[in-house]
Amino acid sequence: MTSEIAGNTLRDEATRPAGGPPAPQNKKRKGVTERDRPLWLLAPGGLLIAVIILIPLVLALYMSLIDLDQYTLRKWLTTPFIGVENFVEALTKTDLLRSIWISVSFAVVSTIVTVPLGVAAAVVTQNPYRGRAIVRAVFLIPYVLPSFVVATVWRTMLQPDGIVNSVLHNVGIDPGLWLNGPMSYWTLILVEIWAAWPFIYLLALAGLQSVDHEVHEAAAIDGALWWRKLREVIFPYLKGPVSLAFLLGTLNHINNFTLPFVLFGAPAPADVNVLPILVYVTSFQSFRFGLSAAMAVVSLILIAIPLFIYLRAVKLDVSDDGGKK
Amino acid sequence: MSTQTRTRSATRTPRKGRSAEVTRLMPTWLIAVLTTLLCVLVLVPVAYIFLASLNSDVGVARGEFWPSQFSLESYTKIWRSVGLGKGIINSLVVSGAVAVVSALIAIGTAYVLVRFSFPGRLTMLRGLLGLQSIPGTLMLLPVFVLFASIGAWVGITIIGTLWGLFIAYLTFALPFSTWVMVTYLRGLPRELEEAARIDGASNMGILFRIIVPLSWPGIVVSGIFAFLLGWNDVLFASIFTKPNTATAAIVLQVFSASQEGGAIPVYSQMMAAALVCAAPVVILYFIFQRYLVGGLTAGGVK
Amino acid sequence: MEITRKNFLIGIGGMGALSLALAACGGSPDTSSSGTGKVDGTGKTLTVLFSTKSQYPEEQKAWFAKTAEDFKTLTGATLQWETFASANDEMTRIQTSVVSGTGPDVYGLGTTFTPTAYSTGAFVKMGDAEWNKVGGKDKFVPATLGISGPDANNQIGIPFVSRPFVMAYNTEMLKAAGIDKPATTWDEFSDHAKKMTKPGQYGLAIAYKDNFDPWKFIWGMSIQGGNPIIDGKKVRIDDPTVLAAYDAYFGWLTKDKAVDPASVGWGNAQALAAFAAGKAGYFPMTSPLSIPTLDKSPMKGKYQYALLPMVPPGQTARPSGGVEAASILSGDNLVVADYSPNKDLAFAFIKMITDTAAQANYYKIFGEIPTNVEAAKSLKSDPLVAPALDAASKSVATPFSGAWGDVQLALTNIAVQTIPDLSAGSVSESALSGRIKTAQSTAQAALDRAK
Repeated sequence: MTSEIAGNTLRDEATRPAGGPPAPQNKKRKGVTERDRPLWLLAPGGLLIAVIILIPLVLALYMSLIDLDQYTLRKWLTTPFIGVENFVEALTKTDLLRSIWISVSFAVVSTIVTVPLGVAAAVVTQNPYRGRAIVRAVFLIPYVLPSFVVATVWRTMLQPDGIVNSVLHNVGIDPGLWLNGPMSYWTLILVEIWAAWPFIYLLALAGLQSVDHEVHEAAAIDGALWWRKLREVIFPYLKGPVSLAFLLGTLNHINNFTLPFVLFGAPAPADVNVLPILVYVTSFQSFRFGLSAAMAVVSLILIAIPLFIYLRAVKLDVSDDGGKK
Repeated sequence: MSTQTRTRSATRTPRKGRSAEVTRLMPTWLIAVLTTLLCVLVLVPVAYIFLASLNSDVGVARGEFWPSQFSLESYTKIWRSVGLGKGIINSLVVSGAVAVVSALIAIGTAYVLVRFSFPGRLTMLRGLLGLQSIPGTLMLLPVFVLFASIGAWVGITIIGTLWGLFIAYLTFALPFSTWVMVTYLRGLPRELEEAARIDGASNMGILFRIIVPLSWPGIVVSGIFAFLLGWNDVLFASIFTKPNTATAAIVLQVFSASQEGGAIPVYSQMMAAALVCAAPVVILYFIFQRYLVGGLTAGGVK
Repeated sequence: MEITRKNFLIGIGGMGALSLALAACGGSPDTSSSGTGKVDGTGKTLTVLFSTKSQYPEEQKAWFAKTAEDFKTLTGATLQWETFASANDEMTRIQTSVVSGTGPDVYGLGTTFTPTAYSTGAFVKMGDAEWNKVGGKDKFVPATLGISGPDANNQIGIPFVSRPFVMAYNTEMLKAAGIDKPATTWDEFSDHAKKMTKPGQYGLAIAYKDNFDPWKFIWGMSIQGGNPIIDGKKVRIDDPTVLAAYDAYFGWLTKDKAVDPASVGWGNAQALAAFAAGKAGYFPMTSPLSIPTLDKSPMKGKYQYALLPMVPPGQTARPSGGVEAASILSGDNLVVADYSPNKDLAFAFIKMITDTAAQANYYKIFGEIPTNVEAAKSLKSDPLVAPALDAASKSVATPFSGAWGDVQLALTNIAVQTIPDLSAGSVSESALSGRIKTAQSTAQAALDRAK
């Protein structure tokens, strides 16, 4: 019952229609993986996620369906159920759709720029040299600095009379306002990129670690040019971690509250009125808690739908095999 | 796809000897150029923070880059004015515990998800990523209500304790930690497990004697992410802590936010405090980096 | 993640359990009551939420410790302090506490947030009995009670400190420009500003980017013109007085050129820094809390405070119906949570920190102006504080409505969205009136919801 079954498992994993549910007819053939499953190992994580994430999520959904504001907050359990009214208001009378557009575009642009930066950083620190440890630590700094510190520092530097403008002024450029008006959108992207690329770097680094030494040797024997080796041999290994990084990076950008809040304050300039700020202002400055929950739920759904289409499309289950040679 | 998979197992023959040249991915000059560019990108703002921390508060407010007067005063002041010591200890305790426990739970969960098939497996895998799309601002109030209710029900205090914070961060860290481990375990060869199984090893035996030792880099990465989640969070900590359980991020945020009120902002002290807060993480990174960098290949064929 | 009907029903079931738990925790009887006289709080803990004083971190710590010690001596109860950093943080705390029925017993609350707190109905209304427990209504400066509640019979806020807004002026700069006394009308204010502006210095230090300053200017000028912004069930942001106020406010930069163009990025603290560096003649919208900063700066001994102008822009005298408003009624109120099981202890605590000696001491440490009649009286002799005391007595409360938060937000938002125009040097009439229209409709919608 050994190698044959193990071989089956492998083949099964590789030939199963990607993304589909486990084919039931295969069950019997999967001896080892079926008979002795330590499913209890799923319990601690599953329980925590169910209690601390799923229950509050249901609670949040409930709040989005009631007329919850400062007047009804105290008696929220008996607050009138108003069905989808909050959702209708959110979609028709607020800036929600515009905010979603700003958030999503900002997040995607930021991610698109951070990916090459992160991968490049991982690649250039692949080989040991004197001082590499320090370079690697330096790369990590933006990620370990708390978000609001990063935002405060950049806000200080980007003031109309701040250090950035005075330097640019000296070389004859007048960049204008960074923290207000149309430019603020790009400022947000710039700072987000600065703060977020090490996340991609770490994931890409983990991906590089999984490249077997033999692969390097094989490529070396082939005498492949460095960029061909990189593109054809190494990058396929990074596909998994980097597409993960792309996905999570984008989601993190969309949900980043601290950075825009500290950079621009609330109310935010219209060009950077991102979703978390809109939800926050609706919640804590207008005190429309039900409405803001509805906004958050709408955005969650709008983000979750493409996400799940994407997750189905990327063949989650076999993505690890893609690059192995 | 399937041929590739087979070739993979076929080519896996133990080979010794590594040289730096073989693993080099770029010409040295390009590495030098890119490294320099990236370091400049990071270090210019960091240098600003560092210089500002050595400046006086008034100097920073005046917009100086290069301090007119250097002083370490900010570094001595912050321990009293910010109360940073206690905050850093709280953060280390909570984030450290989250890192260890989440890595532990994650590797078990990932092991099951990667190596065993059961109904709902794919849904779980997708769910791990899907959970990342939930905005924190949506969860804040419900989680608080939940904790307060459970606390009142069971008759214990959760809000304001490090335990409450620990449970919350642990849960938020789990989906991602688990996913990191899932991707990592997928990359591990199955041969060793299969061999051990022939020798009669149990699932737990395989998990702890084979998987865990092979997975250090993955464990460290997932631990680091979990750690940083707790270390950087402000949203939840701001309502889940009391002054004696406040984390470093909260202490620092309270300090900086309250600057907006009246007097000239004490930017210098804030920058000093920010650097001091970042220091433990950088130190931890140095300690753990040999695992991060540690040779997977060396472990794989031992 | 998909939320199925079944999950949802389970959730609703769970909600019932939650409500039971909440009821259980909110319903514990008030046991601290001991009839008259001394409150016995032995073995109990009173939790108080206060804003952090970043200017005086160590002094605040010491004051917390000392107050807790005194409170223990007085009642036997332990006092636990919690702090918040910003108004936003505090709103989060109030929201979570109100929903869950647990949290601090006493809140220190910015006055403009009192209407919002009142509208939640989650704080104790002060009847005669309650006022007696804190030492009687008479011990407070009457004007400071102006924003404790919608009317004298429905008050929740107990005034703790008063923080009226005044303007600081650079005595040397005024003198050099031949101005013998600070401006009393906004037109005069703008004239003086132009006169004092020359290379290297500006007439005014204005924090255009501040999250709170702009609406205070606009509200002040409007009420002086007779428009309280919320007028019964009607919002009057689209009133000519508001447009005139914005015109004047933005005009200091665009027309008078009397403000540093960089100030489009300034918060109040940076404007103060500019004034402290001797670069501005007037710094309006500040309070005596800036004394320590200014005394440490080159401005020491070269500045004074004066009342903000009280004649609306474009006028030489206050029109009929205009209100003599020197400042918004500003400061901190204390409110006691309805869910608190320690209400008597809470009142004992409030009585303790609003007594004459405690208030005088608090002023001495932090420079916060007392709300206690006796303690305030003793400060009249200090020339730096006298204008602030005068402003306090001429302070006017912002409308007591649950919708005020939205009005404030809408007024600030006009300023935020105008900053790019400001920076470009001119604010077009049409863009401004467009923004005013939007603000009017969002604020009116909020007022329509108000209960």
